[in-house]
Amino acid sequence: MDYFLQQVINGLSLGSLYALIAVGYTVVYGIVQLINFAHGEIFMIGAFGSYATWMIMGQPTDWSPAMSVLVMLPAMLIGGIVASVTVALLTERFAYRPLRNAPRLAPLITAIGVSVFLQEFVRLFYGAIPGFPDAKRAIPYPAVQGISGVNVPLGGVTIQMSSVFTLAALGVCTVLLWYFVNRSKTGRAMVATSQDPDTARLMGINVDKVIMVAFAVGAALAAVAGVAHGLRYGNIDFRMGFLAGLKAFTAAVLGGIGNISGAVVGGLVLGVTEALATSFIPGQFGSSAWKDVWAFVLLILVLVFRPQGLLGAKVVDRA
Amino acid sequence: MRSVIPAGVKARFRLPARLVGMFGAALMIASIFLSWSYGHDVLDDVGYYGAPSPLQLFFGLLALITLGLLAIPLVGKERLGQWAHVLAWNTTAKTAAIWSLAMAAVMVAAIAIGLGGLVNVDPGGWLAMIGGVITLVATLFLPDSPEPTLYLVKSPQWLQILAIVALMAVVLFGAAYVLGFDDAGGFLTFITFIVGVAMILQKFGVFGWVGIAAANNNRVLVLSAFAVAFAFPFTQDGSDANMSIASQVLIFAGTALGLNIVVGLVGLLDLGYIAFLGAGAFTAAILSGSAFSTVDWTPPFWLTVLISGTVASVLGLVIGAPTLRVSGDYLAIVTLAFGEIFRITMNNLDGNDGPNLTNGSNGIPGIPDLVIGGFDFGEAHVILGVDIGRFANYYWLMLVVVAIIIAVFMNLNYSRIGRGWVAIREDELAAEAMGVNTFALKLLAFAGGAFLAGIVGSVKAHYDVSVTPDQYVFLESAFLLAAVVLGGMGTVTGVLIGATILKLLPEKLRFFSEYRLLLFGLLMVIMMRFRPEGIIADKRRKLEFHDDDELAEEVEQDLKTHHRHLNPEPKGWDL
Repeated sequence: MDYFLQQVINGLSLGSLYALIAVGYTVVYGIVQLINFAHGEIFMIGAFGSYATWMIMGQPTDWSPAMSVLVMLPAMLIGGIVASVTVALLTERFAYRPLRNAPRLAPLITAIGVSVFLQEFVRLFYGAIPGFPDAKRAIPYPAVQGISGVNVPLGGVTIQMSSVFTLAALGVCTVLLWYFVNRSKTGRAMVATSQDPDTARLMGINVDKVIMVAFAVGAALAAVAGVAHGLRYGNIDFRMGFLAGLKAFTAAVLGGIGNISGAVVGGLVLGVTEALATSFIPGQFGSSAWKDVWAFVLLILVLVFRPQGLLGAKVVDRA
Repeated sequence: MRSVIPAGVKARFRLPARLVGMFGAALMIASIFLSWSYGHDVLDDVGYYGAPSPLQLFFGLLALITLGLLAIPLVGKERLGQWAHVLAWNTTAKTAAIWSLAMAAVMVAAIAIGLGGLVNVDPGGWLAMIGGVITLVATLFLPDSPEPTLYLVKSPQWLQILAIVALMAVVLFGAAYVLGFDDAGGFLTFITFIVGVAMILQKFGVFGWVGIAAANNNRVLVLSAFAVAFAFPFTQDGSDANMSIASQVLIFAGTALGLNIVVGLVGLLDLGYIAFLGAGAFTAAILSGSAFSTVDWTPPFWLTVLISGTVASVLGLVIGAPTLRVSGDYLAIVTLAFGEIFRITMNNLDGNDGPNLTNGSNGIPGIPDLVIGGFDFGEAHVILGVDIGRFANYYWLMLVVVAIIIAVFMNLNYSRIGRGWVAIREDELAAEAMGVNTFALKLLAFAGGAFLAGIVGSVKAHYDVSVTPDQYVFLESAFLLAAVVLGGMGTVTGVLIGATILKLLPEKLRFFSEYRLLLFGLLMVIMMRFRPEGIIADKRRKLEFHDDDELAEEVEQDLKTHHRHLNPEPKGWDL
């Protein structure tokens, strides 16, 4: 039973990582019906941005846990958010916006191009900043005292502090996002635009601005996920956005793409499924080498049996 | 291109501009008899006085064309008769000036980079640059020509056939010459020359005419194209390096053509297409009788080909059946996920994490060369006094495979199925309403495309000697897609060109291999922004991407004039 609980908790913390990224896919898709393929790279940029912030702060390694958690971590989060939001807005402005009325294939191909470009850009030029490590190989992520490597025993299970951070981050972000979408003027404008862009425009909503906000919100959450990823795995890599992005997209589809709470639920379900699949599928196919396969099999199963996703957003039928 | 110089000014200064331009072109021609570089180790040596090197001669040719384009109109509008407005003299002169200058600039840059600094550029190089700038500025003052209408001029069939055959011969020797360059500078210079000539012919109206000629003599075109491709190994004099590149280009092009059915005709974005190639390659490797293969049965190759194709298309069905119902964007991601599943699975079937089928990440090495009907593909043969090595053998085999794929593609394109596909691409709902069985047709395209990739994969396995999972990563799928997009979705020529560019450039331009992917990403974004229909545009496709009425009218006009042989003189223009 403890083993089962432990796996569920591992799954939940992994799933919150997916959920944080998935929100970005879902928000953007809900408004412009674009699969922002480069969103995984925005997540990666967030991680590298937070690392850059840490470098600029003078690579503090020996701060007290209180200082680390209350000063260093927020600074890194903000640095990461600034980096990913900037990049996301730039891609929106220069890559996607000119294609807004183009056929569906064009922005998707652009998104692939953006994704490859951003990966390569980080790989080639991150190390060119004076004093920065070469990004061609994985970079060890700075340890935050009080979080990295700290385990909390809780009954029969052990929880890593980094997992607590990820779960907490998801919780805080979800509450803030809920508040933003349902209570703020801009958030309501977003909802209106996703329901009917033309009418929203007629009602005086600046659709361009709403789209930018959607990209920015998604990017900010992805940056938080980037920091969480760094703390969880202890290193960051220019390739990390590819698989994470793919998983997060799976989570978004699982929950019902276009539906924000769906993305959160989908992420958690996907994380738990992965964790349970690797521990409870008997035989060779239960080894961790297969965990990504099970995640994608889940995606395909969802598309067969419930294409509108678990929480059932509107049925998407656009060629 | 809109010009900054007012039409009135152009009309008034056209004669002096023409003369100044001719002077500039003459300077460029004179420059090839001077030394361009102080050192002799660059661009195959351009450092002699009075003895132009081949590259200098090509530059001289470009300059001579410029001179001719400027000089011939001097005889006057009346004496040129219809040729005065059928061909776009002035606009083409400007294009020729641009490309002459570009070629001179590439050569000067190559000298400067190759020898370390602009100090090494001799008077000849500078004279060429100065001449180029003078010509370019002068041509800006020429009045714009009307659109060339050479394609409306009646011509005898023998002339059309002759033109096609001549064009193909030029392609053959041009390709052989391009591949002969070892240094990046010379390669880039020659490519600039080729692109320049092509742009000049395009602007002049020649390509429009060749297009009509090719459409009228389709069979001649196809046959001569294959004859040229078939003859290519004979121009290589037994050089394996170039034949290896050429075979890789064909393998890549064959796969891209298969993807072209799925993406270009039906409009389904498949981001995991490489998995089908991989499925074919692994199947063929496992059945190849290699010492490392995990199955003890070695069927004859024709059967292996069929099995490989079938395995791939069954995978296509498995992945397509659930996802093709929820049309659109999901497919892109599911195929992407499938590509990953395939790679991970091939990695895991190593006897440790799963049953042993593929030896995991080591893959299956030591795949024997093909032997078909006693013909050993691994052995070199001497045909007509030319060594035909292993790579040339595979090149010919791939040529046959590519020919089959093109035949399938063309026939499907003009069949009932093909029209159904295009209808789905343009508007799926409307197609369904018109009675097109969209699901079945999409599934057919998906499985058929997979089958073709599987066939190519079975040849690739033998060509590569070993098959490993890491050859089949997402990036390869992205490259295939880029070849299709870059060349022109839904066209055969375009995809062949796109595949050639994407395979050839990295081979010849090693120095930028580090920035290859960065440029590739940027290229995709820029293409989609400015020319989403690709280098060779499918007419219908062009309309789809550029949503404007003017173009629609133009295309319609084009289709009408196709059958009309009138050549009216445009009104109000100057030569």
